Amino acid sequence: MVATRLASSSLSILILVTLVFFMAHLTPGGPAYSILGMKATAASVAELNARLGLDVPLWKQYALWWWHLAHGQLGYSYLLSRPVGSLLWQYEINTLVFYTVSIVLSTIISILLGLIQGVYFNRWPARLIGGLQLGFYALPPFFVAAMLVLWFSVGLRILPASGISDLRDANPGIATYAAHLVLPVTTVTLLTVAALSRYFGEAVHEELAKDYVRTARAKGVAFTAILFGHVLRNALRPLVTILGLSFPYIFTGGVIVESVFNYPGLGWLMWRSALSQDYPILIAIVLLIGILTVLGNLLADLVNGLLDPRARYE
Amino acid sequence: MSEISLQSSAGMPAAPLGRLLGWLGVRATLVTGLAIGLAIIFLGFAGPSLYPVDPYAINPAHALQGPSTSFPLGTDELGRDELALLLSGGFATLVVALPAAILAFLTGLAYGLAAGLGPGWLDRLLMRLLDAILALPSLIILIFFASLVTLNNTSLILLLGFISWPSLARLVRNETLAQRGRDFVLATEQLGASRFYIARVHLLRVMAPILVVNGTFMVGDSIFALSALSFLGLGVQPPQVSWGSLLESGLDIIALDPWWLILPPGLLVFGALIAASLTGQGLLARYGGTR
Repeated sequence: MVATRLASSSLSILILVTLVFFMAHLTPGGPAYSILGMKATAASVAELNARLGLDVPLWKQYALWWWHLAHGQLGYSYLLSRPVGSLLWQYEINTLVFYTVSIVLSTIISILLGLIQGVYFNRWPARLIGGLQLGFYALPPFFVAAMLVLWFSVGLRILPASGISDLRDANPGIATYAAHLVLPVTTVTLLTVAALSRYFGEAVHEELAKDYVRTARAKGVAFTAILFGHVLRNALRPLVTILGLSFPYIFTGGVIVESVFNYPGLGWLMWRSALSQDYPILIAIVLLIGILTVLGNLLADLVNGLLDPRARYE
Repeated sequence: MSEISLQSSAGMPAAPLGRLLGWLGVRATLVTGLAIGLAIIFLGFAGPSLYPVDPYAINPAHALQGPSTSFPLGTDELGRDELALLLSGGFATLVVALPAAILAFLTGLAYGLAAGLGPGWLDRLLMRLLDAILALPSLIILIFFASLVTLNNTSLILLLGFISWPSLARLVRNETLAQRGRDFVLATEQLGASRFYIARVHLLRVMAPILVVNGTFMVGDSIFALSALSFLGLGVQPPQVSWGSLLESGLDIIALDPWWLILPPGLLVFGALIAASLTGQGLLARYGGTR
């Protein structure tokens, strides 16, 4: 299972990196023209090509790219003239903070909502939650983000709408950073909860219908003890799997959310690089997302193994 | 269903249908979804002729006004009529997203049938390739390719069409394999029918409910993907507007509190997505017993 996923992810990354690499060089005139513009003189194009190493044959550049990667080098950004590796790292930290907070929050809220939904199945609390899930699930992330900015930043003026620091503040502390995180995290959390809690609600409902629950109730175990002692742990397994699988999809939502809030994370960097056709950065981000996808899956398998010993042998 | 759900609308996994919708009633779900969907398609295609105001007429004297009797949905920062822009943007969105969904549907169907009916080595090859395509979220792949090509209606249709088919392909392939072992297919094969004949006459008929349901979901996915790309500046290009780019231009001047430039395009995308979701779920509950 893990090996298959690893293989298909590697193949996927290989295909994408190769495609992006060659397509980038097949654009009319090559990358130099996308950087300098179509009206660039032949001399300046030649100078730039020499500087970026774009004057050697294409297959050599391709081989060189993998050679550098094997040595931990991701190349240089066309526009920012900095090594891609250190550039990515700086944005990666922001993204990690953003996603860790969002995923932890989403998981907690999803578990609470899912428990209510499972226990009050087919009664009004569960129906209300179900309706909200359906509605929020269809909301496009850019719309949610824009509405939150409209209400909380423009209307109520209580939360910052963009970036991670305040220009008027010479020494932005952790509080400033946290304030800038509130709206992006809220957006991602709302949309993630809409999807996750539905799965968890179903799982809790199915678990509650099982024999061991009936036996426990028959011998007089308190309902809350059954719910938190047994059902919760068993119902967590599908949630963890889904969470692992959703990793790249949460990132997808993140590209849009980061672009709305100008949050300097990987999604934002990817968006800006796509607009300015800065291919070394784009190729590196494909690699990184591919690796994150594999890691998400592995992490889910690992946690499932801890939750349920049977899963270790699957 | 699990593979197809993972690729659904908001790029997040969709829950199994569940009995969550049961209380709404299957019929109410279907009717509501179809009504919203048809209303949006009607507005997109007939709207510009029903409200014949030039969406691109710049009028600085009326810049950034809220809704009024002369401008039902207000004006943008250039004084352009927002309602006219939305209708024109709706046409631009649908004229790309609908053909793209059809292209993706046909590609996925052909790929799935080829894998399911072809020899074993072809199946393994096609499925391995499919895994590779599904390993990364489609919006990420879309952003990459959108940055590489010249963006116009044709290239966008091809991009969206060739990137959003894999989940359907897997579903069709699995279903084909399941149906191939059934007696009536085996009997037809023994009578000397070609694989193409079996696919055309039997498989398509048996799979019709699944195809209709997932085709509906694919329309929603396509509209979402195009709107997201346009919102990021990598979809429908100026001067042509679309729902995604209209929302983005409202966001550019959000400090001026132009809610009439943000709420309507957002609601239209939301409406299109919820219409596809409700219609698909309604159809699934009604016809798609095989999950």
